[in-house]
Amino acid sequence: MEERHTCTDKSVLDMTNPKPKAESQSDEAEDPDGGWGWVLVGALFVSTSLVFGLMRSLGIFFVEFVQYFDESAHAISWISSTGLAAQQFFSPLGAALCNAYNARVVVMTGGLLAGLGLILASQATRLYHLYLTMGVISGLGWGLVFTPMVATVMAHFTRRRTLALGLAFSSIGLSSFAFNPLFQLLVEKYAWRGALLILGGLSLNIVPCGALIRPRRRSKAPAKVDSETGSSPVSVLRRISSYLELSLLSERPYVTYTLGITLLNVGYFVPYFHLVAHSRHAGFSEYQSAFVMSAAGASDILGRIVSGWFSDLGHFRLIHLLSAWTTLAGVFIMLLPLSSLSGSYSALMVISLLYGFCSGALTSVVFVVVPLIVGVERMMGALGLLQLIESGAGLLGTPLSGFLKDVTGNYVASFIVAGSFLILGTLTMATLPHYFSCTDPPPPPQRSSLDDKHNGLHSELEHMTSSPSSDTNHRV
Amino acid sequence: MLASWKQLIFQILLLLISCRHINTTSPDPTPPPLVPIDSLPRDVRRAAFKGEGQIEKVELLNPVNLELVCTWTGHQNKESNITGFWRKDGLEIENSHLTVQLENEQYQLQQVFNIVSEENLGNYSCVFESEVKIDFVVAVPQIGEIRDKPVVTYVGDSGVITCKMEDSKPMPNTWKWYKANGTDKEEIFAAAEPQRYEIKNNERKTKLLVNNLTMADSGLYYCGAVYTLSTSMGHVELKVITYYEPLKPFMAIVAEVFILVTAILLFERSRSKKNDTEGDMMSDQTNTLSPGENNGLEGSSSMRQRKT
Repeated sequence: MEERHTCTDKSVLDMTNPKPKAESQSDEAEDPDGGWGWVLVGALFVSTSLVFGLMRSLGIFFVEFVQYFDESAHAISWISSTGLAAQQFFSPLGAALCNAYNARVVVMTGGLLAGLGLILASQATRLYHLYLTMGVISGLGWGLVFTPMVATVMAHFTRRRTLALGLAFSSIGLSSFAFNPLFQLLVEKYAWRGALLILGGLSLNIVPCGALIRPRRRSKAPAKVDSETGSSPVSVLRRISSYLELSLLSERPYVTYTLGITLLNVGYFVPYFHLVAHSRHAGFSEYQSAFVMSAAGASDILGRIVSGWFSDLGHFRLIHLLSAWTTLAGVFIMLLPLSSLSGSYSALMVISLLYGFCSGALTSVVFVVVPLIVGVERMMGALGLLQLIESGAGLLGTPLSGFLKDVTGNYVASFIVAGSFLILGTLTMATLPHYFSCTDPPPPPQRSSLDDKHNGLHSELEHMTSSPSSDTNHRV
Repeated sequence: MLASWKQLIFQILLLLISCRHINTTSPDPTPPPLVPIDSLPRDVRRAAFKGEGQIEKVELLNPVNLELVCTWTGHQNKESNITGFWRKDGLEIENSHLTVQLENEQYQLQQVFNIVSEENLGNYSCVFESEVKIDFVVAVPQIGEIRDKPVVTYVGDSGVITCKMEDSKPMPNTWKWYKANGTDKEEIFAAAEPQRYEIKNNERKTKLLVNNLTMADSGLYYCGAVYTLSTSMGHVELKVITYYEPLKPFMAIVAEVFILVTAILLFERSRSKKNDTEGDMMSDQTNTLSPGENNGLEGSSSMRQRKT
């Protein structure tokens, strides 16, 4: 009980000092919190912008597609839905391949596929060609890129994980600011075909980002390969399920967390889709509504970076911070329609800025909590599965809010339901074990079987990097 | 009795003379319909002088008797009589000088114009005392929703140009398409070349599809909204480019990617060679890196060979 009062005791920081010295003896191990880690943050910055920043700016092409293919806007919007769904669906595949082989190979292949999809799309003569190329092929590429890169960056940091991710994810907002005018220019100069071709080339820049991943001796692969020899179907299936970390689905903490994040996702995207329409509905001009959206986007970028920096200061547990940001974001989403009901533009603006900040803040923290629950070793597979499961929520949330708007006639109900889903997510996360304690729980037991001296050293170091005594107490 | 016969012959003569007069003074290829002037509907447009450079838009579809009424409240010291006259397209209309009386604290000029054909459209101005002017732009509805940037397409591909008349404006009777040929416009007849051109008309929208594009198809295309009085034109530029245009920046980017990947892999190889002298731990890595031609694809295959 006294622990609560000494939550901010920083004397345990001294224990972290010997760690870097020990690890620098082995060139193989990652340097925590420095050096090459920041290079990888840069790589993640670039690849995230080429994946999500690009996805967000594809709207420029849609007008051209509608005209060229003579299809409805709804049919065209399925292109980006397919791309996003493929990215999330293939995330576990990317994670499993990284576990089986090598993150560098997977990310470079993903980059090639993403570029190839767009290059092929430039030759499309029918709409379904676009679904297959921009949707499936590029989506597969993106899936092979995002989760492995995030997991790799997180493995390279311990104390600055959230800041690293926050900085890297700020690229999404920044790049969509840059890509919108760039894409517009490309389409005007080269028509959509040439623009897609050039975009495919740009996406190939993910390949050097992947090349920056240093191949490491993974303690995991030999453990699995050694224990499961032979190619009988059973052992193959067992290996595949271990690469995919399917065993996580039976562990309560992970399932609880995934459920919480899924609920969060139901409501998270609603303002992105409906804020502008809602502002227009409330009587503001087109320009004012677009400005509200841009302002929310700008505060989103700020929120990611500030949240990353703040979380790593260590004053609070990450899971508590995540709950706080999620609850606040949910509250602000619910306040959005109510603020504009009064007709005041400044109230809408303030709430949108606050909402943007909180929603950006929570994205920095969401992924970093995962290794705290499942351990650094299984982080890759855990992230893949998380992406897959939360994708369903995104598909549910937007149609639901649209339906509510059609039924009630305005956006009030949609926003309130969306906000309440976020709060539900927080409540779900509150059922995680050790939620109400001041310290992070111990990570699950490490995998066994590392006889080799180097691998033994490596596992010991990994244990040190993720053990509560060395890194999480100071975050307490 | 004789008087009435004389009157009849006189009227017939008058009619014949005026008919001949009509025939000789309108040499244009499409003569306006010879409807008696009185049977045209009357359209009245009023305008009160508000300030300098005042322009009123008058949109007409069909032949009308257009009555334009200008009112002006006058200066401080209002004189009882001022002069006023009418201009068309900047030129004074003959016999339009009038003396205007001050009535109800304002001056009023009105005139009826017969708008029956394209020549009658233009800029009509009423002028008071050569200083106060109100312009009436009499025209068919202009096409508002038209693309101002050029439509870019590729050789061998097909291009689409659309023109739309807004919902707030009246629908045209039909649409026509023209291609600019020097300073002239040539009408495009889709029926004559069905493989190349296709025109899809929808009351408010029209689409021109040009198949199998060649560089010669570049240029200005005009869509015309045909109304009884005249045709309203809008133009769109079509640019046809070859695939080499976007290919140049694309190849530049691919080269940059290639160089980056090579540099990164080379850098890593040199670093690991340095570390080679420090310990055996790097020996495995160097062995597998050496066959790697520093191309992304082949680099990946060499990585795959390494099983740790």
